Amino acid sequence: MKPLDPRLLRYAAASRSFLVVAALLGLAQVALVIAFSWLLASILARAAAWAGILGEQPGLGDAALLPELVPALLGLAMVVLGRAALAWAMESVAARAAVKVKSQLRLGSARALAEGVAAGQGDAPSRGSAHAVTVLGAGLDALDPYFSRYLPQLVLTALAIPLHLSVLATQDLTTAVIVALTLPLIPLFMVLIGYTTRTAQQRQWRRLDHLSRTYLDLVEGLATLKVFNRQHHQRKNLRELSEAQRHGTMKVLRVSFLSGFVLDLAASLSVALVAVSVGIRLIDGQMDLAVGLFVLLIVPEAYAPLRQVGTNYHAAAEGVAAAEDVFEILDAAPARGEAVEVPDAGIGENRIAGPRDLVISRLRVERGGVAVFEGLDLAAPASELTVLAGPSGIGKSTLFAAILGFLDFRGTILLPAQDAGGTTAQLSGAGRRELIAWSGQRHGLRSGTILENILMDHGGDGARVRGRTLGSSAGSQQLAREALSDVGITATDPQLSLDRHLGVRGAGLSGGQAHRVAIARALVRARSQDSPVLLLDEPSAALDDAAEARLIRTLKSEAAAGRTVVVISHRRAFREAADRVIDLATTSSEVRA
Amino acid sequence: MTVTTQDKAALRQARSLLSASRPPWRQMAPGVLFGILSGLSAVLLLGSSAYLITRAAEQPPILYLGLLVVGVRAFALSRGFFRYLERLSTHDAAFRALSEVRVDAFSRLEPLAPVKLGPRRRGDLLTRVVRDVDGLTDLPTRVIQPLASSATVVVATLAAVAWFSPAVALTLAALLVVTLLLGTVATEAMTVRAERRTAQLRGALADEVVDLVAELDVLIAYDAVDAQLSRVQEVDARLRREALLGARGAGLVAALLAGGLGAAVLGALLLGIPVLQPAVLMGPEMTLGFAEVDPAVLATLALIPLAVFELAASVPLAWSARRRVLTHARRIAEIAPEPERSEKAPVGQKGRSSAPEDLALELHDFTVHWPDAPSAVSLPVSVRLAPGENLLVTGPSGAGKSALALGLTGFLAYEGRYRTAGGAADALSPEQLRSQVCLIEQDAHIFDSTLRANLALAHPRGPEEAGDEELEELLRAVGLWDWAQSQHGLDTPVGMFGSLISGGQAQRIAVARGLLSGAGVLILDEPTAHVDEQMAQQLLEELLGAAGGRRSVVLMTHTQVPSRLYSQSLRIEPAPRSEGPAAG
Repeated sequence: MKPLDPRLLRYAAASRSFLVVAALLGLAQVALVIAFSWLLASILARAAAWAGILGEQPGLGDAALLPELVPALLGLAMVVLGRAALAWAMESVAARAAVKVKSQLRLGSARALAEGVAAGQGDAPSRGSAHAVTVLGAGLDALDPYFSRYLPQLVLTALAIPLHLSVLATQDLTTAVIVALTLPLIPLFMVLIGYTTRTAQQRQWRRLDHLSRTYLDLVEGLATLKVFNRQHHQRKNLRELSEAQRHGTMKVLRVSFLSGFVLDLAASLSVALVAVSVGIRLIDGQMDLAVGLFVLLIVPEAYAPLRQVGTNYHAAAEGVAAAEDVFEILDAAPARGEAVEVPDAGIGENRIAGPRDLVISRLRVERGGVAVFEGLDLAAPASELTVLAGPSGIGKSTLFAAILGFLDFRGTILLPAQDAGGTTAQLSGAGRRELIAWSGQRHGLRSGTILENILMDHGGDGARVRGRTLGSSAGSQQLAREALSDVGITATDPQLSLDRHLGVRGAGLSGGQAHRVAIARALVRARSQDSPVLLLDEPSAALDDAAEARLIRTLKSEAAAGRTVVVISHRRAFREAADRVIDLATTSSEVRA
Repeated sequence: MTVTTQDKAALRQARSLLSASRPPWRQMAPGVLFGILSGLSAVLLLGSSAYLITRAAEQPPILYLGLLVVGVRAFALSRGFFRYLERLSTHDAAFRALSEVRVDAFSRLEPLAPVKLGPRRRGDLLTRVVRDVDGLTDLPTRVIQPLASSATVVVATLAAVAWFSPAVALTLAALLVVTLLLGTVATEAMTVRAERRTAQLRGALADEVVDLVAELDVLIAYDAVDAQLSRVQEVDARLRREALLGARGAGLVAALLAGGLGAAVLGALLLGIPVLQPAVLMGPEMTLGFAEVDPAVLATLALIPLAVFELAASVPLAWSARRRVLTHARRIAEIAPEPERSEKAPVGQKGRSSAPEDLALELHDFTVHWPDAPSAVSLPVSVRLAPGENLLVTGPSGAGKSALALGLTGFLAYEGRYRTAGGAADALSPEQLRSQVCLIEQDAHIFDSTLRANLALAHPRGPEEAGDEELEELLRAVGLWDWAQSQHGLDTPVGMFGSLISGGQAQRIAVARGLLSGAGVLILDEPTAHVDEQMAQQLLEELLGAAGGRRSVVLMTHTQVPSRLYSQSLRIEPAPRSEGPAAG
């Protein structure tokens, strides 16, 4: 484990200023520790000297030592107050930095994930959503102890050791030499132990993540397990998994706790060595008691931050491992500027609404190393309802993903404007998305009201969508209501009123209801933005015959308005209503009269 | 804040969960003992070093210091050694307990599926169950062990100090009490609300992150990434504010400990110096009586607080860890209260004997209730199905077809009469009922494993009993064999939540499970929703063919089904004013 990953400083600006402030506070802390030790040692030495005189001159009993020591005691009290204030300041600075850094990393990596998907890396297997949720949520919280307990001590270590050592050297060279000889042993052992446990610790973190994924998988699948009366067997399974995890973790801990052991041992042994050597020199009268006590007080302080680093090593390692997951996401983000839009010759704010064909040629798409399409040619003209058919698994949804720019492909996907004579430059994925309204196989609803889901946060008063105002909220409500009624949802249905609040991932609606809302969402986008292309994946899977017929009528009229409507459907009604049916299994295109 | 009975019940639940996550004392004892030994070594190392140095300054004959020198070295060694052992044994005990807690939480969630677990917010569930269960490990390592060990060491040290100077011991004790009281009780008042709210906000943040990450393609396609990011940002900012409020407590504790330590040193000096005596000479006849303070004793008394306060620093940490653990336990208890032991072995009639030979399923005035709903979902239905007969159930969406399916498989309470080949359904345990009437869910869960594991789990005698040939036969029956062969056969991975397969394939896997289950009646809830029309017909025919013989199928659908595929049909109508969550 690197004590401090430079990527932390790069990706989280808050960590940089924290290091500066922590260093300043650390310096002040070291100064106060030295002052405290010096005052305490000299008070005790003076008391011993006074007691010596007292032994020789018993008559002195009436005179008091205390008044003489008042300035030193007052000084000690001031130093104590200062130390308390600094301790408070360090804690709050660290807490502030931790939350700031977490926010910066969380938002940065969320943005990086989005950029990755937008740039066509959507298929990367590391982006399992449960994993990403763990990394961006609970995973990042592992940074709390890293900031509050590990980093400040690390900074303090860097400052305290040289400062304390040089102070010791001015007072007692022998002690300074003892400390200087034992100290290097610690980093040496830390590096050795850290080196041997590094991979084991990373593996451990992965296993923890895997266990939490398995746990979620089991909980999510509880209903299915119960259907087949398998729920009780999973307990045994779970117990075995946890036991395996315990064995693995303990194996790692036995070694990684050794670093703490070495630190503890070095610190206490050097205290013992110094105490004994100072004691022997005091007997011989070669040393002042004040110096001896001062040295005894400073030596453990020199080791204290290092010991704290060691004690919190395990917590910090977890934080670092969690941060590494975030860095992985951040490192994988497409460099800014990489996804530059290639301007389409025909596109301008005004031209966007014109009808556009969908022309695909020599398309090759891979998924998991296997080619889904190889040299696919396909055309869906504007003003027509095209139905894509073919057995499941043939790649209909994959084709949509490629059109939307979520998958890398070879070949061309063009959206030529009809009145531009069919010539057009190839658009980037983002450029194509601008022109498309799409509803996928999964509904993709979020928490929020049904209206918010349909308008996708573009609906408020004065909200602007690419230069076009969606209009007043009353206007957008009207738009949403129309779209809902086009998918067979009446305004009087209390389950589906616009202000009904849904849970995360649209929880609260049945699959069919959610799907219909998602289609309405695509219709609203098409109409409010005048999207020339409308792509729908299995829109009627959850509709009854009447609702399906109504949706088909709607889509026909969208096509009549000049849109290119492409629908993936297995349903006979859709095939019969289509202007064009393309079977992806044979790539035969059947044009209906 | 008033404590309602509900709160009390939640607290009781949380405590019972906590006691489950506390390792037995037998396992905790070594950790506590090693902690005490390590703490005592630390105090003795500092005390004996200070004593040694001050005594040495009096220049006694060197041999009188021999024992002290040995002591100083021994304590130096034993401190680190015992600390290492302590950390290992407490962690081991904690992990042992964690395994039990995981299983316990799973058992608590189990009765809630599928009816009460359905609309749960998934992101929240993830953070709760995983985070909170993991959080319970802190109980032995960060709460019980430090509290037990440091309390013992501090009390022992105070007793020793009291022998030299009762006044100093009293002062030290008073300062410890004040510091720790302020450090625990006062900061608790300060942070408890903030922490409760951060726990909630963390759940909310996880939800927003799920909404962001799970459907990134939708957000991108609708230009809504920035909007969702700003929602994440907004919750994150609120969480940040609350977390900072909660962190004030930590700063206060640090300041209190530093101040308390200084005050204890000053107190020892102020109380010790006025009663200071000439040094007692070291030697065989050395006598250091009760409450006699000479320079070496004064130095020891002044330095002991350094070690004592280092130990005491673990108390506020342990206290706030205890609070966190309790919050974790409460959240788990809240989502999943302790299961009532209800699913007992069935009583009454013994299986088939009481049922007529020619019966697969019989319903009479059968209706189903969503839990806590005032009225039944749909109007009562009656039907009688002989083995091998198939029933088609139609009805508008929302009429309660899914509810009926759940009722037939014992997941929802029903009214009316219900008999299966095994006899009256209410004489069977839900598990027995489900082994005879198998539900093929509309959105069956696909486990993140292989095709084989996903199918084999349905085998009535356990997954290990399912042979490859049998599974391959199943794949052929549901039309997945060609696809599977083009992949890795039965070892084809299906991905988390079936992410590597299509919706239609997932549905076929679900159907294959039903066939494997050996149940006499299969309830098919919209099996062809994700399958193309030609395939749907074929699948239905294959399925009914595979079911064959004496197996019956109840098919819930809103699409057309050729009449030769079923022998009876039933149309269900929603009951007036029915209110149910998410009726499919």
